[in-house]
Amino acid sequence: MEIRIRGVSKYYYSEGKTIKALDDVNLTIPANQIFTLLGPSGCGKTTLLRCIVGLEVPDTGEISIGDDVVWSKDRNISVPPEKRGLGMVFQTYAIWPHMNVFDNVAYPLQVRNVPKDVIRDSVAKTLRFVQLEGFENRPATKLSGGQQQRVALARALVAEPKVILFDEPLSNLDAKLREETRKELRAFLGKLKITAVYVTHDRVEALALSDSIAVMRAGQIIEIGTPKKIYFDADHRFVADFIGRANLVKATVRAEEGGFTIVDSGLGRIVCQHRDVAIGSEATLCIRPEFIRIVRGEGQAASNLVNGRIETLVFVGEAYEAEIRVGDEQLLAKIDPDAKLHEGDAVSFTLDPAHCLLVAI
Amino acid sequence: MDRTRSSKLTWLLIAIVGALTVCPVVMLVLGSFSEGLTAFGVFTVDKYVEAYTDPAFFSVMVNTTIFVLGSSTLSTVLAIFLAYLNTRTDIPFKFLFKIISIIPMMIPHLLFSVSWALLLNPSNGLMNVALMETFGLDNAPLNIYSMWGMILVEGLLDLPIAYLIIAPAMASFDVALEESSRVFGAGTLRTLFRVTLPVLRPAILAAFILGVVRSLASFAVPSVIGMPGRVHVLATYLYEMISTGFATDYGKAAAVGMSVLAASVTLIVVYRALTAESEKYVTISSRGFRPTVIELGKARMPLFGVVGVLSFVLIVLPVAVLLYTSLVPYSMVPSARAFSMMSLKHWHDVLSDPISLLSLKNSLFLAVVGATLGVILSVFVAYVIVKVKSRASGILESLSYLSFSFPGIVIGVGFMWFFVQTPLYATIWALLLGYIATYLPYGIRPMSSAFIQIHSHLEESSLVCGASPLTTMRRIIVPLLIPGIVSGWILMASMFVRELTLSVVLSRPGTEVLAVQILRFAEDGLWGRLSALGIVMIGITTGLVVAATLIGNRFKTV
Repeated sequence: MEIRIRGVSKYYYSEGKTIKALDDVNLTIPANQIFTLLGPSGCGKTTLLRCIVGLEVPDTGEISIGDDVVWSKDRNISVPPEKRGLGMVFQTYAIWPHMNVFDNVAYPLQVRNVPKDVIRDSVAKTLRFVQLEGFENRPATKLSGGQQQRVALARALVAEPKVILFDEPLSNLDAKLREETRKELRAFLGKLKITAVYVTHDRVEALALSDSIAVMRAGQIIEIGTPKKIYFDADHRFVADFIGRANLVKATVRAEEGGFTIVDSGLGRIVCQHRDVAIGSEATLCIRPEFIRIVRGEGQAASNLVNGRIETLVFVGEAYEAEIRVGDEQLLAKIDPDAKLHEGDAVSFTLDPAHCLLVAI
Repeated sequence: MDRTRSSKLTWLLIAIVGALTVCPVVMLVLGSFSEGLTAFGVFTVDKYVEAYTDPAFFSVMVNTTIFVLGSSTLSTVLAIFLAYLNTRTDIPFKFLFKIISIIPMMIPHLLFSVSWALLLNPSNGLMNVALMETFGLDNAPLNIYSMWGMILVEGLLDLPIAYLIIAPAMASFDVALEESSRVFGAGTLRTLFRVTLPVLRPAILAAFILGVVRSLASFAVPSVIGMPGRVHVLATYLYEMISTGFATDYGKAAAVGMSVLAASVTLIVVYRALTAESEKYVTISSRGFRPTVIELGKARMPLFGVVGVLSFVLIVLPVAVLLYTSLVPYSMVPSARAFSMMSLKHWHDVLSDPISLLSLKNSLFLAVVGATLGVILSVFVAYVIVKVKSRASGILESLSYLSFSFPGIVIGVGFMWFFVQTPLYATIWALLLGYIATYLPYGIRPMSSAFIQIHSHLEESSLVCGASPLTTMRRIIVPLLIPGIVSGWILMASMFVRELTLSVVLSRPGTEVLAVQILRFAEDGLWGRLSALGIVMIGITTGLVVAATLIGNRFKTV
């Protein structure tokens, strides 16, 4: 089901100041996608999720899920969370400690007065789906973090909701388990026809899981796109910087040529991916460290050839991380671990115009 | 819960708790400024002038000051000593410390005081008689009916509560602070006085102040030990004012009570600020660490001896003395003859005494009904305090902790003024309301810690799963609260069974309760019957505490 959010704002008042947790958010979350709200802590992503599920009441605007308006300021509609028919996985999992696994998972069906034998079958099916067969009678407190996470998922899925919401569900797991669970979650969600809204501050999680990502800052949605679009082709400097490591260099737009935009910068004249910007305007050139390609031997006269000097060189296992000085600019570069380089060496490198990104200042 | 509903609930609770706690205070203030003995009259300050210019008042104030400071100092020093031994040294039999800390739940202050009077009174105290016989003395060497006797007994009674405040602070102390002091060249003792104790200062001060408040409100020790020796403190001075003479001047009593109440409330405000401060001081980090254990070496056994004597004095002695006294016909030193004369006569007398039986019935009724109503109120109050964060819920929190600072006898006078205006006067319902109002904080505390443990996600996820707020209450919140409800109920019930200070003011013929009846026996010197009834009381409270522990353990394993 599609979720439409129109003009939703939410204010908090503390010590006489008004904090805009959500600032006139407009967003359409397409049906049957994994849609991620990504942003630094305090950007309003969790507040937005809680407004969708009904645990938080917005101050303005309208929210509809599928064909039903669940909240509208103007029409005075406010459907309570228990009537919205959604599934949700909480950051703390919220597994009820006084119930066993079966009762935790069966709860959404029990409160809907579903016949007992139907409940038993549905719970068994759902537990099989999350690979927790045979855990029915285990007390909820005797589960590992990963198992609790799967019980929470099973509970969110058992009533077959059309929308499932995730509030940073992996942040309580340790790094290794987080990676495994992320893959599992991706596999589980891939098998279902379901709209999933996923909140996280972890960019890798967002990139790995999502069909679409909305990046938020200070209560506003800055940019929406597929993971690749957000990573390679962001329109905003904040987004480019937040989603991965980036070298940001001041540049001035000089020309449009053969489908490329040409800029002058501290690195010299650089050919960039095309952007509709006025000639003569200021922009920021964004280059990811992994796209700085060291040229071996004599540099050929390719485009975007830059000369610099290696200032520091740190071996981090899968690569060298080098700081390369070019005039007044210092760039972070990821270099093949088998490169034979030393600190102080003069180097030449090229930048593929497709990965030279111009973003708004 | 939506906002309007929860704010309505908050204001309703503010009205109820406010009526219970503010009412007696207002009545006390009004009463103290009124002409006339029990009814309200013209505004006057005569009662204050009369009360505070009474020549007896000055010596009472001096006595009170010595008693309060002396007993608080004793309890705090002992508590520091015990807490340090338990948390930081290799002293053996550490389980004794846990027992010491829960003892006041089981042995009521009144009976503890009585047992000391039985041991050390100058005419036939068991220990005095034994000493006189052993050393051939003509006079009793020790007299408990004196200021030092009061300080000793009150200090021992307040020791457990001081320990419960200081020990956790000491246990959560980051040893790195001490270790760095050692590294910079300070010895064990210097480190103790320069680092350990100063860091613990807020906790120690909090324990001391709580001791002051409790001994200021204490009635059991001053009445059982102070009054026979004519050592009067404010509590007994007030009691004599309202319980003797044919024209009781409640106005004058109210005027004296005002200063006690003001002092108590101020001290509790300071206490709460200090405990907040001491939480800030908690230096423990989430890294798992164990404080280094200091080896006592040769001092180990002597120090343990001190702890052993203390626990014997606190736990075994009172019960043993009472049990023994309830069985012998009159006061005598334990001997073959004494044991041969033992009988159940006192028990028989008490169990066929209609007033004793009535007091037992009344106390049980108050415990069961009072604790049930008190816990129901506490559940709602704790819910609002913990889960509804608003300015109104802050007001409710302050209101509900107000009665924590009420000295029972003073607030009893306030209630007296109030109940005289109503048909509740001299009924058991007056006691019931007074109990709930005065002991509400003891019900709210376990409930609010239970609520804090229920993460809001547990409640929210039930709503998202499609359960209505009512179903969520029934299936999620209440089951998770049950351990808190049970322990709150038992705590309140055990306090109501032994309630003395409020009861001596509010109890009237027909509404006697156990503690008041025991006090009557003490005043009449009927030690045998007193001991028998006292053992019954200890039996009930101990039963309740044991039940609480067992139920608590059962829920912990789930």
